[in-house]
Amino acid sequence: MHVSDEGANPTETEPDRGETVGGTTGTTPLSDVRARWKRVRERESTIIGLTIVGVALFPYLLVRAPVISELLQGYQKLASLILVWGIFAIGFDLLLGRTGLLSFGHAALWGTGAYAAGWLSANVVQSPLVIVGVAVLFTVVLSVVLGVLSLRRGGIYFAILTLAFAQMIYYMASAPLAFITGGDNGLTGVEIGPLLGSFDLGTELPSVAGTLLGTWRYAFIAAALVASVAAILRILNSPYGVVFRAIHGNERRAEFVGFNVRRYKLAAFVLSGTFAGLAGALFTVQGEYVPLASLYWTTSGEVVIMTVLGGVGTLIGPVIGAGIYLWVENVVSGGYPFDWIGPYWHLVLGLVFVIVVVLFPQGIWGVVEDGRAWITARLEER
Amino acid sequence: MSLLAEAARILLNGLQTGAIYVLLAIGLSIILGTLKFVNFAHGALYVVGLYVGLLVSQETTFSQGQLAEFGFGTLGLDLGFLAALIIVPIVVFVLGIAMERFVARPFYDRPDTDQILLTFGLAIVAQQAFRVLFGGNSQSFSQPEWASGAVELPLVGGFPQWRLWVIAITGLLVVLVYALIEFTDFGLTVRAGTQDAEMVQLLGIRITRPYIVVFGIGAALAGVAGVVGGPLTVVNPTVGTDVLVPAFLTVVIGGLGSIRGAVLGGLILGITQSFLIQWSLVIPALGIDYGFAPWSQVGIYAIAAVILLVRPQGLLGSEVEIS
Repeated sequence: MHVSDEGANPTETEPDRGETVGGTTGTTPLSDVRARWKRVRERESTIIGLTIVGVALFPYLLVRAPVISELLQGYQKLASLILVWGIFAIGFDLLLGRTGLLSFGHAALWGTGAYAAGWLSANVVQSPLVIVGVAVLFTVVLSVVLGVLSLRRGGIYFAILTLAFAQMIYYMASAPLAFITGGDNGLTGVEIGPLLGSFDLGTELPSVAGTLLGTWRYAFIAAALVASVAAILRILNSPYGVVFRAIHGNERRAEFVGFNVRRYKLAAFVLSGTFAGLAGALFTVQGEYVPLASLYWTTSGEVVIMTVLGGVGTLIGPVIGAGIYLWVENVVSGGYPFDWIGPYWHLVLGLVFVIVVVLFPQGIWGVVEDGRAWITARLEER
Repeated sequence: MSLLAEAARILLNGLQTGAIYVLLAIGLSIILGTLKFVNFAHGALYVVGLYVGLLVSQETTFSQGQLAEFGFGTLGLDLGFLAALIIVPIVVFVLGIAMERFVARPFYDRPDTDQILLTFGLAIVAQQAFRVLFGGNSQSFSQPEWASGAVELPLVGGFPQWRLWVIAITGLLVVLVYALIEFTDFGLTVRAGTQDAEMVQLLGIRITRPYIVVFGIGAALAGVAGVVGGPLTVVNPTVGTDVLVPAFLTVVIGGLGSIRGAVLGGLILGITQSFLIQWSLVIPALGIDYGFAPWSQVGIYAIAAVILLVRPQGLLGSEVEIS
């Protein structure tokens, strides 16, 4: 395990300004500590550990902590919703940020996961683990079909074709398959049973865990997020992830080196679709209802905005983007301290998105990273 | 009704549905083919056409939106439909030129992904701006009086007159744009620029001016689509994307940058759609009477998928891949 980490790391990090300077001076204890921290920070286990700490503190800060939760006006459902969309967005970024493919059809995968989970729970089985597992398998199959069709042509065609085929699935669900999906009314009658047969998702966790995390539902979704982060880290640091990066950097060169670029793109699409399906299924577990709009192109657009807003090509960026988007959509639009901006929340988000695309293509987290690099460089100069 | 009459009716309805797709697709296709710019905000230009057309041709009472709250609930110049048909293309042409200059040009050197993200963002901003101004509810765009009602056609019988006008106006515009691109010096420059922009510039021809005009023409066609299509649909801020996706499909199955391809693609999609709306499978012996109307939207995507599998470059597209 350790050996593979060491092997993957040199390719993982671009030589960073702060690091190089620290390496050459390397005598002060401060830079020594910083270099060591940098090494520790990039270990997979550290990132997973930080993710666990993050998801454990997040609902407490959003919902129950004094002062800060009152400022944010968060609630438990919003916390789990942000995590669900966070999984969707980091899965989406596997495609956009790591492989350089912009899909406008992820609504189809998210929606399929959501509908599959909802239909199963309404008709077959209520165990959350089984529902989510089967829904993910179902989405994987659909991702292969959509991926093969949409990757027939390169470049701009991919965005157009994914959008088109996702809309096709939306129209299928809206009318001809309404006897399964419930049509415009969405899928009702969703009933999620207890986790592992004994923990009801709606109840609070015992003692400290209850204060931090809240409900079992949140704990279940948080566990899925941690597992997703671990899986994505493993993919990115594997030889597969390296090829994805090569395609992102220069597709033609990757082709000349001998990689079957289309096959790797398909792999990236299916992997990304897997997380979209997982997130969609969790969306059903979270809301116990599947709206028809979950298949509509606006859902694809939302995950695009979240990912770009937060920062493409990073792990935490898309989650931050999801958090900001959903917070604005659910809290700012609601009224009191924000009633001066509430009715225009969507317009404002659209404008912010355009500004980010034009001026800060690296997104919010990218700006934070740049700031950190700048400060580090200043410190090293001392 | 005889089978022949039914087929003629399906054909006419298909031509009309296809006409709107063709108007949108030609703009998308020539902008994509010559400027290599992907415009996800093309649907927004259609919506601009709808609203400007609505405001020019009639008086409308908006019950929601900021304008209504500030006391401008009833708006409109009430100049009639012909005025809208002239003013809208001019307004949207100017908008298109501004868009080329200030939106597209700074992004020509950025990756396709960034162009898509930018225009997608602008499409959202436009849609939300319309919602804030005019409210999110639907308005009705009335047909011009001189073209409302049905007309008796041989074979088909009564047919809504306005639908025939849509076909005629579209046909005229297609011929005009085709002639402009194929038979004028301007069109020659544009086509040469499509082949090799750098070479054209080396020959001393300033390529930016034809480009800006191409963008304007593409935009104006989308605006016209809004005006002529308006009386056949509802007017609200979200319809832009509902037409954008079929328009993109039209471009893709017709072949990129090809006007003839866009026309062919639009007709295929339009006729498929109208066929599915009207066709039902009736087998009395088995008691089957299944209407395919719910499949009408799905059908156009299915056709597109089949065409792409057989001919990835589109029906009339060349093998050249743009990247």
